[in-house]
Amino acid sequence: MSLPARTRFSLFAQREVGRLWSVVWVPASIFVLSVIMRYRIRDVRDLRRRFRTLVKETDKPIVICPNHLTMVDSALVTWALGGPWWLVFHYRWVPWNLPEYHNFASVWFSRLAAWATKCIPIVRGGERNQVSKVLKRIQHVVSRGDTAIIFAEGGRSRTGRIQMETIAHGMGRIINSIPDCHALCVYLRGDRQDRWSTIPKRGDSFYVDFEFFRPESENSGMRRSRDFAMQIADRLVQLEEKYFARQATA
Amino acid sequence: MDQDEVRAKIVEIIGTYAKDKEALASATDDTNILEDLKVNSARLVDVILDFEDAFDIEVEDEDADKVNTIGDAVSLIAAKI
Repeated sequence: MSLPARTRFSLFAQREVGRLWSVVWVPASIFVLSVIMRYRIRDVRDLRRRFRTLVKETDKPIVICPNHLTMVDSALVTWALGGPWWLVFHYRWVPWNLPEYHNFASVWFSRLAAWATKCIPIVRGGERNQVSKVLKRIQHVVSRGDTAIIFAEGGRSRTGRIQMETIAHGMGRIINSIPDCHALCVYLRGDRQDRWSTIPKRGDSFYVDFEFFRPESENSGMRRSRDFAMQIADRLVQLEEKYFARQATA
Repeated sequence: MDQDEVRAKIVEIIGTYAKDKEALASATDDTNILEDLKVNSARLVDVILDFEDAFDIEVEDEDADKVNTIGDAVSLIAAKI
């Protein structure tokens, strides 16, 4: 995994520009979520305490692997794991994102905003070499201590439940390519989120739970990456079942 | 196994995943697996793992990145068997 020096510098510059103005964009993003959209994260203090304990106790590379129901899931997961000022002062835990290029590329301002907020655009289902270049960039930033969000499913779940048939191989590939990389499986769901949508309903309250583990496999090559991706998906399914079991008894 | 046999086996494997069966029937080495045969990109990994089983080879992720067309798959497999 070696990136050209120019690409490494470009990622470094992107990160530092984002970090310099994170004092604006991180609180502003959370202001939109919490005040304008009136979203709430249930048991957020306990959740953040668990996450801070976890990151204090481990120095392992971590990839965050959430389920995917709306287009603001990555912002919600980030907010659930850390408050605005904690994220500003622990910028490595503001994850890199892989937004679909065609969702924002038509407007120059969106492209600039994405660049300055730790986003690396990807064309899903695009040329394999281009996808590979994006994955190598993510491998680079994660192996240097940052984290990234890679959605377990290739896109938002059309059924509203974890879709095993759409599990993204790239997630397992990234974890496989970084020595001792761990997965943080995060299950996020709004109380009024029956199925996929663009954004959650205003005022929705979110259940968030996570599990941290190191995928294992005796295989090698692509099969090992595939095993990793499936193990992560299995953990998310378990978290989903836990969510619905709680809902049934509530 | 010669290249024609490899190609025939590859087309047979891809047939399980291809949504465009007409394009598959007239596939050439230049046929793009994702775009022309409408194989879901998330299933491309399954296709290549099936290649591994069928030809008793091991494919690395980096090798798989080079597989866009049926011709690419034939070249990759021919180099490994």
